[in-house]
Amino acid sequence: MESPETPVFSHEDRASWQARLAVIAVVAALAALAARMSHEAVPVLGAVLIAALVPRQHGWTVRVPLAAMAGLLALFVVRMWPDVAEVADATATSPEGGHILSWMIALPILGALAVLVLPRQAEGAQRGLTLVVMLTTLGMSLKLLSVSMGRGFHFDENVAWIPRFGIHYHVAVDGISLWLLILTTVITPIATYASFGSIHARIKEWCFSLLVLQCGMLGSFVAMDLFLFYVFWELMLIPMYVMIGVWGGSSRIKSAIKFFLYTMFGSVLMLGAILYLAYDYARVSGGPPSFDYFELQRVLLPLHVQGWLWAGFTLAFVIKVPMFPLHTWLPDAHTEAPTAGSVILAAVMLKMGTYGYLRFSMGLFPEMSAAWAPNLAGVAVLGGIIYGALCAWKQDDAKRLIAYSSVAHLGYVMLGLFALTAASIEGSVIQMVNHGVSTGMLFLLFGVIYDRRHTRQLNDFGGLARPMPVYAALFVVATLASIGVPGTNGFVGEFMIITGTFASNMLGHFNGVQATGAAIGVILGAIYMLMVVQKMFFGPVSEKNAKQHDLTARELLSVAPLAMLIFIIGLFPNVFLSQIKGAAARVKDDFDSRIENNPPPMFYEGPTKLMPRRPEAPQPATAAAAPH
Amino acid sequence: MSIALALSPLLAVGLGALLLMLVEAIGTKAGPVPGTFRDVRGLAVGAASTLFAGGAFAGCVWMYGVERIPGAASLAPWLILDPFTLFFDVLLCLGGAIAALLAGGYMPEHGLERGEFYALILFTTFGAMVLAAAGDALTLFLGLETMSIGAYAMTAFRRASARSAEGALKYFLLGSFAAAILLYGFALLYGATGHTDLAGIGSAARQAAGRSPLFILGAAFVLVGIVFKVSAVPFHAWTPDAYEGAPTPATAYMAVAVKAGAFAMLLRVLTLSLGSPAWTSWASGWPPVMATLALLTMTYANLVAGRQESVKRMLAYSSIAHAGYVLVGVTAMMRDPKQAVAGVLYYLVAYGVSTGGAFGALILCGSRGREAVSYEDIAGLGKRNPAVALAFSLFLVSLAGIPPMAGFFGKWLVFRAAIDAGLYKLTALAFLNSVVGAYYYLRVLVYMYMREPAAGAVTAAPMRSGFVVTALVVSAVLVLALGLTPTSYIDAAMSAAGVGASG
Repeated sequence: MESPETPVFSHEDRASWQARLAVIAVVAALAALAARMSHEAVPVLGAVLIAALVPRQHGWTVRVPLAAMAGLLALFVVRMWPDVAEVADATATSPEGGHILSWMIALPILGALAVLVLPRQAEGAQRGLTLVVMLTTLGMSLKLLSVSMGRGFHFDENVAWIPRFGIHYHVAVDGISLWLLILTTVITPIATYASFGSIHARIKEWCFSLLVLQCGMLGSFVAMDLFLFYVFWELMLIPMYVMIGVWGGSSRIKSAIKFFLYTMFGSVLMLGAILYLAYDYARVSGGPPSFDYFELQRVLLPLHVQGWLWAGFTLAFVIKVPMFPLHTWLPDAHTEAPTAGSVILAAVMLKMGTYGYLRFSMGLFPEMSAAWAPNLAGVAVLGGIIYGALCAWKQDDAKRLIAYSSVAHLGYVMLGLFALTAASIEGSVIQMVNHGVSTGMLFLLFGVIYDRRHTRQLNDFGGLARPMPVYAALFVVATLASIGVPGTNGFVGEFMIITGTFASNMLGHFNGVQATGAAIGVILGAIYMLMVVQKMFFGPVSEKNAKQHDLTARELLSVAPLAMLIFIIGLFPNVFLSQIKGAAARVKDDFDSRIENNPPPMFYEGPTKLMPRRPEAPQPATAAAAPH
Repeated sequence: MSIALALSPLLAVGLGALLLMLVEAIGTKAGPVPGTFRDVRGLAVGAASTLFAGGAFAGCVWMYGVERIPGAASLAPWLILDPFTLFFDVLLCLGGAIAALLAGGYMPEHGLERGEFYALILFTTFGAMVLAAAGDALTLFLGLETMSIGAYAMTAFRRASARSAEGALKYFLLGSFAAAILLYGFALLYGATGHTDLAGIGSAARQAAGRSPLFILGAAFVLVGIVFKVSAVPFHAWTPDAYEGAPTPATAYMAVAVKAGAFAMLLRVLTLSLGSPAWTSWASGWPPVMATLALLTMTYANLVAGRQESVKRMLAYSSIAHAGYVLVGVTAMMRDPKQAVAGVLYYLVAYGVSTGGAFGALILCGSRGREAVSYEDIAGLGKRNPAVALAFSLFLVSLAGIPPMAGFFGKWLVFRAAIDAGLYKLTALAFLNSVVGAYYYLRVLVYMYMREPAAGAVTAAPMRSGFVVTALVVSAVLVLALGLTPTSYIDAAMSAAGVGASG
């Protein structure tokens, strides 16, 4: 099917023409039908048509899913267009019941157990079940879009878990976690589907790890109870460790252990800080301890105590991001991980660090975050954006290069968070998604060539554009997105972060310098990413490279949705930003009000006290002693 | 009769032990080779069911409420029958039953099928239960010796093995020394206070006698004797050898039940005899001593465990390290004893089921002549026997303290108590130690799932045994239950935590 040397008038070609005609006929009929019903149908059908007609070498099996993807994405843009979405006001909430978040967390775990029960030989069934579960989760996550996020939290579920210690099962989603959740549910099935082409050993364990990992990631993004968050946070660790260690490259064990120890080191300190915070709350409130995020936000700690707790949280997140100088586990882990592992690690797990910093470090300890923001912003620019880019430039190993580019890109995200303007926070959140999409796509694409050549050295490639034109085109798209060329998603995030940094008043006198440094990073990004393109796709073709065939159906189908997303975010950023805006403004307002009441440089020194409840916080669980 | 009801856990185990000896002597049939071994698998069932019955009795008395039984307090101070005792009865019986089930699979497989082992388990458990109930130096010493002598004999049970003999001899010699020191300490305390019952010593300590040199020396000796049994660094030297030399079910038993009994003794002595404000203050009491011991124990054991080449020895060091974490909780008794004791109790249960399960999984990894001991033996086990590897991983992950397993909640409660008591630095060091601990537990996972055995190497072939599988299922269910639905277990630990209530 994917043979590059198809004769000009083969049967296959004729069949594909017939297919094309059939598609056009069906689509035209549907168009006629739908155009009568709604104006939404026109762009959707346009997208469907284009996607169905574009692939030249593939048959039905590729065209139909591609068309479906394009249609769904177009429908998504039309439906989510801000003017339309604003109509549904946040206060006039559509039903938020149905326990969507709980089902999204539970379904992967149930799927994992089901995979465990299936016989070892039934690999097809295991693969199929995994994909079905993940796609169902994706479908459920799209249901979250039925509510306009605004400033508040939605789909709130709060059930007592261990009432004696005030531990609740509390999940909720807001504009910040919404897109990260959807990113997770989009990336995992893609990575999983792609991995089935290259992973052939121990399918059962592989599917099990992926499903448990998905559960951990989704849970971490929605947990609003710090204890629950910690449980999910640790739950992610083991499957990723196993994925790197079992299915990884030659020095996989060392990398896996390094990954585990770094992350574990950070997380135990965070656990200590969580414990202290919860019991300090009990001491102040005179009641039982609480691990609830919204309750703990009310605790106003003296600065010297806050410093230690902030450090415990922040260290865990900064290791996960990772920020210089704690980034050294990342290149090793990425290099040795299997493709799907790299994709998930880069696209979702690194976001745990940035999300955690935004939600917990900044949400719980604003004074300390403000005090350290100028210094950390300097680290993000120099150690992350500039140093990461310079390191990436020097790499010969392609996966290592992409890993260092992640260090640089997440430097932008962190810079946006430190700058703390409405624009920069929005930019950071959208940049988290962008980085997930574009770096995920780069890792996926690099996995394609790795499966064929089994080398990661850039110098082993060259001239690949001739034997693999589609591959080359898609790779260039991902590269441009990674650089941040206007029209692609990367531009939106980086632009907002850099402008936000210029306008920031959090960074002392250096906001201009830091914004300039970040802008220089964009140039460096263009240098090293274009170097990759040049080395891989142009120049003389070696004999081995000339024999490579272009993308198979599986590879094309797994990459295509990400390529579409790159342009959708790049061209219609408002669709995404309109949901983030409210939550970003809320974070900024909360932060500002705390800083105003307790101005620098001393912020607050005095006994720990409890502040009034915030308006956006969901009502505390009335059934504190509920039996389940 | 009501006293018999209150004593029913002890009586069940004690009478069961006697009955088991009789059955062993006259009831078992000769084995396949006449005159050498007997088929004693029935005894494993007998021992395990006796111990489960003992645990069930304790549970029933707990449900009924021991304070409602008339005359239950009349045995005090010799035997204190309170929820604390019953909690330990259940834990000890559970540990003993797991060990008996493991022995039922292990002993025949490795040609050690002699019925005495089961009687030893029962008598040792009986001793440990007396120890947990003891409120007087004399009963405490009786219980300790009953427990220890059984444990020495179990360690030496592999007569053909030099390591077994070496471990047992070390254990016996050092253990006897420690017991003597303990006894000497109690003698000094008696001299200082005129009391042998722990509560009496405690009330005398509140007066001037508490600061006399004689009393201080006596208390120090007693603590040294107890801490030896707990195997805290620097009194740990016997542990790795004894644990490695002993047949694995005996190792599991020592790691779970003997250790739990020793901690019961420590908690009793610290609360009843040394619970006065002067003795529990950081400036003039035992907390800095316990904190130092805890720190030394955790750090040393964790660092050394990472360097081991034998999984069994690694687990031995890991049990020392866990004693260190428990000692953190013991130190936290200085501020809020009830909460800290509850944490310690929960930790002992969580650690017990995880360690028992881990040793059980290790047993299942090997078979006759090819006992799995080293890391190389279990290389590639994830492929050869996925079920065992999965179970082993579960227990190790729990020991590493990763949520949502039992071990995590144990650490949680203990560290929480320590933070509440203001021991920030000690807690931070304990957190860091648990990271080091994760390294060597994960190393087992690395070998099981990520390494293949070297070409041509002799690997351990997994054995099959319903007994061991039963023990593993029981432990695994408890590990998950303690981790996912900890509320009821924590409640139980909280209500058992009033150590001095009826003292």
